[in-house]
Amino acid sequence: MNDTVTVRIRSHPQYLSLIRDVTARFCSICGLDGEVTGDLKLAVDEACSNVIKHAYRGDTSRGIVVKYAITGRDLRITIEDAGEKARLELMQGRDLDDIRPGGLGLHFIKRVFDTVAYDPKRKKGNRMLLIKHLGSRDED
Amino acid sequence: MKIDVGDYKGNKVVSLAGEIDMHSSPVLREKLLVLIKDRPQKLVVNFRDVSYIDSSGIATFVEGLKHMKTYNGRLQFSEIPQGIMEIFSFSKLDKVFEIYGTLDEAVNR
Repeated sequence: MNDTVTVRIRSHPQYLSLIRDVTARFCSICGLDGEVTGDLKLAVDEACSNVIKHAYRGDTSRGIVVKYAITGRDLRITIEDAGEKARLELMQGRDLDDIRPGGLGLHFIKRVFDTVAYDPKRKKGNRMLLIKHLGSRDED
Repeated sequence: MKIDVGDYKGNKVVSLAGEIDMHSSPVLREKLLVLIKDRPQKLVVNFRDVSYIDSSGIATFVEGLKHMKTYNGRLQFSEIPQGIMEIFSFSKLDKVFEIYGTLDEAVNR
């Protein structure tokens, strides 16, 4: 299988449930189990929430594009925005033992994806690349 | 998300249903902070029908707990579904919140 699915939403939190549903459906089509699907759904939701909060600073009128693809044995999800540049090295998330509001989103993203990176070639806005190695799978 | 506030055995109980995310958590936050303003000694949140929570939902409860701690109030959670509990455990929130299997266990403590 070498299929791609692209979803374009407005940067409003009301559309995050749609992203979660599409993520879960895509994972189901890929044959992933419920536990991994739940983790991926949360991670993609958090990545899109970060775009709204940080790249767009709460502006709900902008655009977010989420692309899902299976290439070989990898699930690749890219999240594109046209907001302020993100710097992963400055986004460390809080120490999990330091209980306070906020700072968890990146932990939820990193705990399930094997690769979390920003495309350095993207001139305007951000393209976040999330890769999950799926191991051996039955091909369609 | 649905939020019901009621009384059970003399305690305020917030029963939640559905998904707690960046869209719904501001509503929950407002509701919780209004309840906490009355400085209840104990506030129970029942998660039985919650199907999803993200970091904004967790932040809401951490904020509520911090407010309640200022006057030694207790924020208790009950009936947390397994999937939600795993997120709480990963976030180490199971170490800071009072978590009970049933609503009765929460109100009786």
